[in-house]
Amino acid sequence: MIRLSRNVRDGLTDFWLAGPATLAMIVFIFVPVLVVAVLSFTDYQFGARDFVWIGLGNYSKLFGSALGQKAITNTLLYVALVIPASVGLGLFVAIGLHRMLDWAPRLSHLLRTVYFLPVAATLVAMSVAWQMVLHPSLGVVNQFLTLLGGEPKSWLSDRGLVLYTLAVIGVWQTVGYNMILFLAGLTSIPPELYDAADVDGAGGGWSRFWTVTWPLLGPTTLFVLVVTATNAFRVFETVATLTKGGPAFASDTLVYALYREGFVYFKAGYSSAITMVFFAFLLVLTIAQFRIVERRVHYK
Amino acid sequence: MKSLFFAAALAVAATSASAQETEIRVHYAIPTIWADTQEALADAFMEKNPDIKVRIDGPAENYAEGVQRLLRESVAGTTPDVAYVGLNRWRILESRGMTQPLDGFLGDKAEELGYTRALLSLGEYKGKQHALGTSASTLVMYVNPDLVKRAGGSMENFPKTFDGVIELAAKINALGDNIDGIWIDRHDWRFQSLLGAHGGRPLSGDESDIAFDSEAGIRAAGLYQRFVTEGGMKSYGDNEARQAMPAGTLGIMFESSSLQKRFEQGAGDAFELTVLPTPLAATDKNSVYFPTGGSAIVLLTDDKARQEAAWKYMSFVTGPEGQKIIVENTGYAPANALVIEDDAYLGEFYKNNRNARVAHSQVANYAGPWYSYPGPEGVAVTDLIAAAMVDIAEGADPEARVRELAETLRIQLGMK
Repeated sequence: MIRLSRNVRDGLTDFWLAGPATLAMIVFIFVPVLVVAVLSFTDYQFGARDFVWIGLGNYSKLFGSALGQKAITNTLLYVALVIPASVGLGLFVAIGLHRMLDWAPRLSHLLRTVYFLPVAATLVAMSVAWQMVLHPSLGVVNQFLTLLGGEPKSWLSDRGLVLYTLAVIGVWQTVGYNMILFLAGLTSIPPELYDAADVDGAGGGWSRFWTVTWPLLGPTTLFVLVVTATNAFRVFETVATLTKGGPAFASDTLVYALYREGFVYFKAGYSSAITMVFFAFLLVLTIAQFRIVERRVHYK
Repeated sequence: MKSLFFAAALAVAATSASAQETEIRVHYAIPTIWADTQEALADAFMEKNPDIKVRIDGPAENYAEGVQRLLRESVAGTTPDVAYVGLNRWRILESRGMTQPLDGFLGDKAEELGYTRALLSLGEYKGKQHALGTSASTLVMYVNPDLVKRAGGSMENFPKTFDGVIELAAKINALGDNIDGIWIDRHDWRFQSLLGAHGGRPLSGDESDIAFDSEAGIRAAGLYQRFVTEGGMKSYGDNEARQAMPAGTLGIMFESSSLQKRFEQGAGDAFELTVLPTPLAATDKNSVYFPTGGSAIVLLTDDKARQEAAWKYMSFVTGPEGQKIIVENTGYAPANALVIEDDAYLGEFYKNNRNARVAHSQVANYAGPWYSYPGPEGVAVTDLIAAAMVDIAEGADPEARVRELAETLRIQLGMK
């Protein structure tokens, strides 16, 4: 029996613990991504017997064509709308519910559940509900609007409106999740800090928020931002079920375009290129957020 | 207990001993429409052909997904022997060399077996028969008679021209804020249907050029604008309109005849949903055709013995007996002339389904191919056509937009 040194044994244990998961990552994530990266330089058609190398052809088509640009700008606009709104509202609601805990704990718990419902529900099923609510003539929203003397709107089939409607649904879906995360962050702030702030003369609501709450929520905010951003970039279910990217590509987004090109048009090469661009966007966004926000985050 | 076991073992031995049994694998899509029908077809076929066993693959959710799966299976070498695919999608398989031509099996008696020229055209490419229609649908008018009466129209004298239909739609539209006159989807197949009603064709005969930038095409596309400005068409998506029609807030709707059953169920007793044929706008009625949706069956196996068995199955489901089962269960029109001509098959069914008779005779009289555009961009350009119809509905000049669309397609499809 060979006696291994403690270091070697520790190393082997680490290897046993992390190894299988790492192997699975490599086989099921890194290798396929590599294949996709290679395919993105070809004109491969799903099911075809051969393909031709076309270099950056797919990429120049994505960035050069009107449709490709539309998918990119739509996605960026959607992300730009959803991130601030759902993070801001999440924080707002969390602070409200956190304070409500002091005087109406039961109501606070009830509201927390209500806000969390959209997160727990399947978005595809919820989309059907949204479709009925937003129906141009039968929907509740438009009937309410006409009651107030407003003009009924085609929420999902008006080219100028559809992306904003989808963004509102996206915010509705993520606010509850962000609220729960912020609530957890708020509860973990030690109450002594508020007392200390009081002693130091920061007794008002605003100065308490700026000097204690906000800095201590830093790590939570960073996490919430990253999660919201990746989710917003991945917007797909609502587009696929409610608009199919239409009307006339007005709600086409990157992920929906890659689905459409790959699985409806069978252009595997082009859709691989979109996938790579999508990865790049996510990577840049995540790194940027970590760099920028981390500088201002006060870890304990 | 022991004897039961032996009996079972013997039975198993007996079935495998009857030996020459061939098994064929069948693929289909859209279980919501087809699941029961497929079981019924397989059972009826196996009863007549005890030496052939039909094994049905788990269905694909829709035709697009079905074709994807077939392509994947062909890469993996596990292709089924026979497949039901969308009538506009079998050419995706054909262009990859997956379909086996059927001319040898059909022989020269196709007409006698109920496969008319029009019906064969649905599965033909470059003189070879690659697919046979199994169920068909064309664009028809769904009408709400209550709204027509309230607007001062009558079902007996329902207008037979697009002008008349638009005029009536305007009156229906004026009935109230939440009542709409007319609707049609902004979609490739719908545009091809209106084009066919005007006697136009999407592509030239040899498919080397776009042909819809003709007088007929411009007038057909122009209807989208007239429906909006004169008939009060809203910019509904298809789901929204399919809710509005059975709910009784939409007067006239151009849609696929395959939705008939669903709409009738949706309308229930609230009003008597009525199906009328799409108006014909061409002076030469012989030039009219309606692109036909629905499904086709293709032969995929290249094994000679299994091809024989598969062909028996294919001729059964496209023959009168199989077609009767399909029509009674799905609401699609049959793709075999014998089953319509001979009252012994569906006479009783049509007596109780006036709407079905209207829709099915339109198929029998005017069925034509649903053109799929050639080449790798073929599916992608259909979305460009849909987008152009949105533009025209929202006010773009029909003539200029249709010409621009035709030019874009020529470049995309490599015709120029």
